[in-house]
Amino acid sequence: MRTNARLFWAGSAFYFLSAIAYAIVSLWFPYDGLTTGGPSIGEYKIEIVGTAALLMLGMMAAFIAFYLGKTHKTQGPVPEDNPNAKISDGDAEIGFFNAWSWWPFFLGLFGSIVFASLAVGWWLFFIGLPLGLIALIGFVFENSRGQYAH
Amino acid sequence: MATATITPSTPVIPKNKGRILVDWLTTTDHKKIGYLYLITSFAYFLIGGVMALMIRAQLTMPGLEIVATKEQYNQLFTMHGTIMLLMFATPLFAAFANILMPVQIGAPDVAFPRLNAIAYWFYFFGSLVAVAGFFTPQGAASFGWFAYVPLSTSTFSPGLGGDLWVFGLALSGFGTIMGGVNFITTILTLRAPGMTMFRMPVFTWNTLVTSILVIMCFPPLAAALFALGADRKFGSHIFDPANGGAMLWQHLFWFFGHPEVYILALPFFGIVSEIFPVFSRKPIFGYKTLIYATIAIAALSMTVWAHHMYVTGQVLLPFFAFTTMLIAVPTGVKVFNWIGTMWKGSVSFETPMLWSLGFLTTFIFGGLTGVILSSPTLDFSLSDSYFVVAHFHYVVFGTVVFAMFAGIFFWYPKMTGKMLNERLGKIQFWMLFFGFHGTFLVQHWLGVQGMPRRYATYLPEDNFTFLNEVSTAGSVLLALSFLPFLWNVYITARKGVKVTVNDPWGYGRSLEWATASPFPRHNFTSIPVIRSESPAFDLNHPEASDIVATKKSSKKD
Repeated sequence: MRTNARLFWAGSAFYFLSAIAYAIVSLWFPYDGLTTGGPSIGEYKIEIVGTAALLMLGMMAAFIAFYLGKTHKTQGPVPEDNPNAKISDGDAEIGFFNAWSWWPFFLGLFGSIVFASLAVGWWLFFIGLPLGLIALIGFVFENSRGQYAH
Repeated sequence: MATATITPSTPVIPKNKGRILVDWLTTTDHKKIGYLYLITSFAYFLIGGVMALMIRAQLTMPGLEIVATKEQYNQLFTMHGTIMLLMFATPLFAAFANILMPVQIGAPDVAFPRLNAIAYWFYFFGSLVAVAGFFTPQGAASFGWFAYVPLSTSTFSPGLGGDLWVFGLALSGFGTIMGGVNFITTILTLRAPGMTMFRMPVFTWNTLVTSILVIMCFPPLAAALFALGADRKFGSHIFDPANGGAMLWQHLFWFFGHPEVYILALPFFGIVSEIFPVFSRKPIFGYKTLIYATIAIAALSMTVWAHHMYVTGQVLLPFFAFTTMLIAVPTGVKVFNWIGTMWKGSVSFETPMLWSLGFLTTFIFGGLTGVILSSPTLDFSLSDSYFVVAHFHYVVFGTVVFAMFAGIFFWYPKMTGKMLNERLGKIQFWMLFFGFHGTFLVQHWLGVQGMPRRYATYLPEDNFTFLNEVSTAGSVLLALSFLPFLWNVYITARKGVKVTVNDPWGYGRSLEWATASPFPRHNFTSIPVIRSESPAFDLNHPEASDIVATKKSSKKD
């Protein structure tokens, strides 16, 4: 997990630096054609679209990096990050997996009706929406046996 | 129902056709979902290919009317681009990642099997919605696959086909995002003990990095498509040119569109990185450099989007020219590593290696023209010409199609338990290689002579005729090269010899070569100890391995 957190921290740093570089370059080369506006320093303007996009990439990477770092701390050392681990060191119980499920297919089918209805017309939307909701509820509650019943 | 002879390790194989259909529709097995992706995307590849042939036929000579109206021609190139990028190449990444990545990290399945299935069905039905435009009276979308506003607004491109295109792609895009989240989580949480991050095969690394790119760039596309849909259907003015909407769309689209190209490229770089060491009998040269190069390409690819917009005159040329040229450096590092892997190796030319070399040749051409186009001064005269068409076909076809066939030939025994015919594979390779280069090499010169892209025809006085004839002839050869492949698949299914060993190529390195062919239901009955990035090689060739701990004579067979 530490490697993964570092990977995302590196990405975050890169995008914040890119955003700063982009903003500076946009000040450096005041370009008449830039119509997207944005905050200005004197007669120079910062190109706002790219700066915002790169800043948000940096923020997203930082979020994920922070979460992975937190997970690393709470989880402690894991066998998959131990270079000398034996296969038997792993947990035999990985989790619960459905062997098969009808719901993904129906959610896809009815979801596509809802999406297509936005193009086709409202009459189809009102056919697709209840079906889509049924599929969504079915998907979410497929393994539900009631609260704390597992 | 249950018979007593079924042991936990034998998969339950459905008997009749109905059971088989239900089994495929309800599957949550990552390999089956991968095969679904592979089959569906290949079907779209053939459909998009037929459209390409119609486009080429139309352009063979001046003044032809093979495509009845110019509007239909516009629909053809729009849907050709859409299908090839979003219904063939992107799902093909999901196909290979699904089939191989969990096996390569020693996992029994992906982290979210049902989400994985949803990702596939969103792609499947979303794509159906997007291409359904062909069955409407006005036809499919015709505003080009990057749907520039105001051309793609309801004022200039009215009609149901365009609306279906917008919302179908939005749904399909959600599927891709879910797939990406699933791959990242799987790689982060389901690696086998001892499979540290820097022991993962290069293909798995590239899957991880590609999935990160997916979650960075597909959400802007979904947002942009919904905004465009709102403009088209519900009268909003998000992309109204009066408030800079034309530029906003281009920024949003290419903020998705350029990383998308690397989403297509990186997994296929990963495939050939798996193949070169096996057929050179050498470990990959510079494993870590290759991974850092992948990360660098992915990081930089998010900062280059506006090089598609040079000719708008409204982007920061110095910034985007610099980052675009910079991205050639890690790409060059990769090429250096692949050549270094083959250097002084004991190279043999089985079909997977042949396809990988075809990839390398073609991709280098495309990369070099990319450096040419990254220079704004040159781009101003070449933009929207056939030079650009040739460039991106070299890049995308070079990586996706050549590496796809490399991967299919390489892992076919793992997927089906049978080897594809080598001779037919080689015939197909040389037909496709010359067909491809015949079609697209001459388009560079057409572009330099000034032939613009997306025009339905040209005049005899333009002097484009001869090179267009060459190009069309090449495309016919390219199309014919699919016959040996389809025959190969058929004949292998009918008469192919079953593979009995885990590693039919003899020098497989990553974990998929340490399990049965075809894969058992949960991938492994036992996993070898992992002490390097090539555990299967350490297991099968302990004498050549530098890992002392794995030298167990009892494991020899």
